[in-house]
Amino acid sequence: MDTAHDERRGGSIQAGRAVVGMLVALTACAARADPAATLAGLVRSACGACHAGGAAEGGLDLDALGLDLADAAVRDRFVLMHDRVAGRQMPPDESDLAPAARAHLVEALSAALVTADAEAIRVEGRVPLRRLNRAEYQETLRDVLALPTLDVADRLPEDLVRDGFNKSAEGLDVSRIQLDATLDAAEAAVTQALPPGASPQAPDHYGAFATRLFAEGQTFGEREAMFFAKDGAALSFTGPQLAALRASLVQDPAIECCIFRSAYWPYYGYPAGFIARRGGVYRVRFRARAVLQQPGFTIGPADQPVPMTFRARRRSGPDVSGDVRAVGGIFDILPEPRDFETTVLLHADQTIEYSVLGLPVPLARNVAGGPPTYRYPPFPEGGQPGVAIQSLEITGPLPPDPWPPASYQALFGTLTFRAAPSGDPLPVEVATSDPVTDARRLLAGFADRAVIAPLNAGDLAPYERLVGDALAAGVPFTRALLTGQAALLASPHVVYLREPRGLDGTAGGGRSMFDLAARLSYWLWGTRPDDVLLARARDGSLAGGATLAAEADRLVADPRFERFIEAFTDYWLDLRHVRRDEPDVRLHPEYRFDDYLAESMALESRAFVTSLIRDNLPARSIVEADFVHANDRLARHYGLPPLAGHAVRRVPLPPGSPRGGLLTQAAIQRVTANGTTTSPVVRGAWVMARLLGQTPPKPPASVPAVEPDIRGATSIRDLLARHAADASCASCHARFDPVGFALESFDICGGWRDRYRGLEEGDLVTGIDRAGHDYAYRLAAPVDPSGRLPDGRAFTDIRALKALLVAEERQIARNLLHQFTAYATGAPVRFADRAELESILDATAGDGYRVGDLLRGLVTSRLFRGLPPAPAPTPSAPEPTP
Amino acid sequence: MNLHAWTAPLSRRRVLRGAGVSLALPWLEALSARASVGAAGPPMRAIFISNNLGVLPKPFFPEGTGADYTPSSLLERLTAHRADLTVVSGLSHPNVRGGHSTENCFLTAARNPTASGFRNTISLDQFAAERIGHLTRFATLNLGVNIDRGNRSLAWTRDGSLIPAEDRPSRLFERLFVEGTAAEVAARRRRLRERESILDALAADARRLEARVSAADRRRLEQYLTSVRELEDRLQVAGAWEARPRPEAPAARPADVTDRARLFEGFEAMLAMARLALETDSTRLVTLMVDAFATPAFRLADARTTTDGYHNLSHHGQSAEKLAQLEQADRWQMDLLGAFLTALADRREGDGRLLDRTIVLYGSNLGDANTHDNTNLPILLAGGGFRHGSHLAHPHDDNRPLSNLFVSILRRLGIEADAFGSSTGPLAGLGP
Repeated sequence: MDTAHDERRGGSIQAGRAVVGMLVALTACAARADPAATLAGLVRSACGACHAGGAAEGGLDLDALGLDLADAAVRDRFVLMHDRVAGRQMPPDESDLAPAARAHLVEALSAALVTADAEAIRVEGRVPLRRLNRAEYQETLRDVLALPTLDVADRLPEDLVRDGFNKSAEGLDVSRIQLDATLDAAEAAVTQALPPGASPQAPDHYGAFATRLFAEGQTFGEREAMFFAKDGAALSFTGPQLAALRASLVQDPAIECCIFRSAYWPYYGYPAGFIARRGGVYRVRFRARAVLQQPGFTIGPADQPVPMTFRARRRSGPDVSGDVRAVGGIFDILPEPRDFETTVLLHADQTIEYSVLGLPVPLARNVAGGPPTYRYPPFPEGGQPGVAIQSLEITGPLPPDPWPPASYQALFGTLTFRAAPSGDPLPVEVATSDPVTDARRLLAGFADRAVIAPLNAGDLAPYERLVGDALAAGVPFTRALLTGQAALLASPHVVYLREPRGLDGTAGGGRSMFDLAARLSYWLWGTRPDDVLLARARDGSLAGGATLAAEADRLVADPRFERFIEAFTDYWLDLRHVRRDEPDVRLHPEYRFDDYLAESMALESRAFVTSLIRDNLPARSIVEADFVHANDRLARHYGLPPLAGHAVRRVPLPPGSPRGGLLTQAAIQRVTANGTTTSPVVRGAWVMARLLGQTPPKPPASVPAVEPDIRGATSIRDLLARHAADASCASCHARFDPVGFALESFDICGGWRDRYRGLEEGDLVTGIDRAGHDYAYRLAAPVDPSGRLPDGRAFTDIRALKALLVAEERQIARNLLHQFTAYATGAPVRFADRAELESILDATAGDGYRVGDLLRGLVTSRLFRGLPPAPAPTPSAPEPTP
Repeated sequence: MNLHAWTAPLSRRRVLRGAGVSLALPWLEALSARASVGAAGPPMRAIFISNNLGVLPKPFFPEGTGADYTPSSLLERLTAHRADLTVVSGLSHPNVRGGHSTENCFLTAARNPTASGFRNTISLDQFAAERIGHLTRFATLNLGVNIDRGNRSLAWTRDGSLIPAEDRPSRLFERLFVEGTAAEVAARRRRLRERESILDALAADARRLEARVSAADRRRLEQYLTSVRELEDRLQVAGAWEARPRPEAPAARPADVTDRARLFEGFEAMLAMARLALETDSTRLVTLMVDAFATPAFRLADARTTTDGYHNLSHHGQSAEKLAQLEQADRWQMDLLGAFLTALADRREGDGRLLDRTIVLYGSNLGDANTHDNTNLPILLAGGGFRHGSHLAHPHDDNRPLSNLFVSILRRLGIEADAFGSSTGPLAGLGP
């Protein structure tokens, strides 16, 4: 062996190849002698020329690395090596490793890795303790304390994103800051659980008609944007007249408040004189109809519903300042007047403002240093849609129902309470004749609620001591108990999730049932298990695959599943970034201030992913489908027949449409662009990584970034020409640039384009944008969406590419399983997990890898249930010597 | 405040409780293992300022090197301070690439911020605070303008946790100067004791758990326990400081600039507060991130608003219109810096100027926001008693580590540091 090594060090690749052949033969004979040495030999012979003996190409030095597969870092490197060799990316010249030798090396690597990984799992577990992320922590507190509107997540630091999600055990650390914030959140939460006073406080009422419906006489955009109307015509008032009308006790119910612009900045849009005195949930009732404004400031009924919502904010100048939150849900305001009702969460000192969606946002600007100007955008044919409001009623804060509030009962059970003396930081005082006994009892009861698995005897002792010491020191009962309960909410019992282990009857079986229930619930609902799921854990039936699958089905069908969809798509599809970039208003004036478009595209992608699971669609739908989910805004955006209403619904696509599937959805195009330009490299790499699970390696450090040319002089394709021309660039870029080129048919917001836009070269297009300003851009070079996949197959456009990519359905399904695994278990798929995932894929292959079935397969897998991986099959090697 | 550097064998709680709650500061210094720092003589401070979109490189970097450099158009705004400042070119953090993703690494130099599993590390201010933070009421002040508090900060803990920035001058004023009523003070002390008891319970609980979990789980619980211990340390020092009255407010309470379009007015207000904090020795370490990335269309000095949000503007694509606006913004920044330096220079402290005892670092994680270039970062160093007046130039195509400057700064603060981040030694050319 050593002679061969020396030969190889001095030799050329040609000599190396000959030696490889010889060594393979040698090692095959010595197969059973020592697997590790065999593997070492195989690796060295295949890889040593570039990666050992002083050479360390690409940062891989086999001599320094060693072969201790028990070490996680070493193992990870070998997994990478296995994948590169199996994927024929290494050696760079494929012919340097003969297929038989490659297969042998891959098998040996695989066997060794499976053994080592399985052993590591057996010893350390698959996933360590995982801290709840802040969204999960907030939901947990909401459920434990029966406070559905509790708002503490923002007190906690943002969670690290790792392996694509903010749910990774290794990424969710506890630091001084984290723990401090958790304590703050827990203390705030238990305090909010108290009733605000001795008896429910009557809510405040506010009502507005006519001129009280709007705080000012006009808003930005002036008359076209908002006016009061009666009998279908705008009214005009002087300032004093309007003030007098507002102040009058008698309001004319025939006067409507008509709004024709969206609430995006700058804007005045709140009713006169309403401010929430106290924070809480308010009921909002209003009567409104959808109208069309015609030139001359007249209105008539609209022909389509107009979507509208509310925003909660502090009153301020016209600028958006501080917290502005959309609240109350979206309504489709109809042409006939109708009553609507919703509830909104307001903090003290907040008001609500009308937020009509999808309308112009007039913005005064100092063009070329002159005075502020704008023109209201030209009316669409038929008139400018808007909303006419006839009345508004706001009532709140709604007193808790039942009384005492459920949240109080969660802490103090059936004990009575009275108002606390003034100056006391807490609003109420709980009455008890036996504080020590009551404290013990209530603490135990609270622990039952707060901690998922039953505590061991003595686990509660530190908290009993905490409360007992406080009582002994003279701290009032209410405060003493709250302190103990807050501490429990910040304890490892609540803050961490444990991996289920040993459900096959070995140590820890009982507790593991609860860990499994928790794992399932935090995956599909983002919160602790409900009583039904806990009952299954308690009686042990959750250990059975059928019950587990049935519970998963129940959770998926429940409205709370929405929380999973939101959290999952926020990270898997980067939907949390959908508003990250403002579209460049010079090149895309039609997208200016179009928040409704951003909202709608996020709704579409979420609805699609929901449908993948609930409707059990085949995995290839991610690439290609004959339908989209669309609402009124998206129908316009995608060039479909018009739809009414804000809710996205499934609509069939005309044959030959480029839309359909996740790949071409507007949200995906938007989060992979930067607001001004699109990049085939960024998009292609994103698609390959997120949808196909084939993440490209990092670019070389020495390559400077491409400076896109928005003058329109050169196309991005020209600027990237080197990627194809230069062989070393192409080795990586050929894998993802082509997808990006096909996606060049979609602009920064996913709108279809046949030509690029620029500022200096091309055919001029002018007009007035949604903010009332002149725009001028040029239509420049045509988009060339053609390309060639690494295997040589060519495509002319995105439709053709989709038809080719659909063949990768197994890989798409595999990637979905990987994404689900990382999200649901807090750790990515490990080498020892792969075999089981392949068997799930095998089981679903016949039916097109339906996503609901994939999910169910994962739920009932050994991986998910915390069972050790099934023993690996022995690699096909020469007969073992007895 | 991060005092886990203490390794006193005594139970700190027992000792402190024995001595009574109110402690004079010198006693704390004696307990500190690294008490020699700053205990005698006028204190040295540092303020680190970053604009996360940087400045236009061509109008910023001067011609020529050494003491005879020809100032650029931007540096001309700082002519009055030429003798008190140094321009440094050719610095960056090795392996800190990824456009905007590097902004949180400006003071940490943590490598590969875009890599999956990236973990940030301790920032320069926190590192210094571990050693000199206990000497002031606030170990550090972490400030921001327009800052996305949840995601951006210059200040990071050792284990990669973001320390949220204070973005309201009015709130900062409260913390620095407003004592609160006796009831409020008593309430705060009660809270501190309550918090201490909670931490006791959590520590006891976690130790019980540790005994019956696997090795991997135990490592996570160790992290939890470390956090509990660090919080305990913090509480004890906070308790001692609670007993000490706050300084008198030397100025009126500021109003907050809530309009995010008025970025530079917000910057000015925050600089003023930072100066107050330094002048009153409320802290000796300040970090200030100007979150240009999160800034929408903003007001320029002539009251016009830019045509685009700051981020989009910074991707100027060679557009003359965008470049003109960016130059205006950069000039305003230089003016604000100049005014800040003037104020520090005008302030006497003993026989010297406050400026000579305050290290001012201004820079960015972006050398050219247009192309997301993280090399050749714009760096201005002022004050602190360094040898100033030069353009220290390093190779454009072979940058030196910015952390080398950090090592020089740490040493200037009286901290014995051989290395920080990715440093290879101190930065040459700044004097002894």
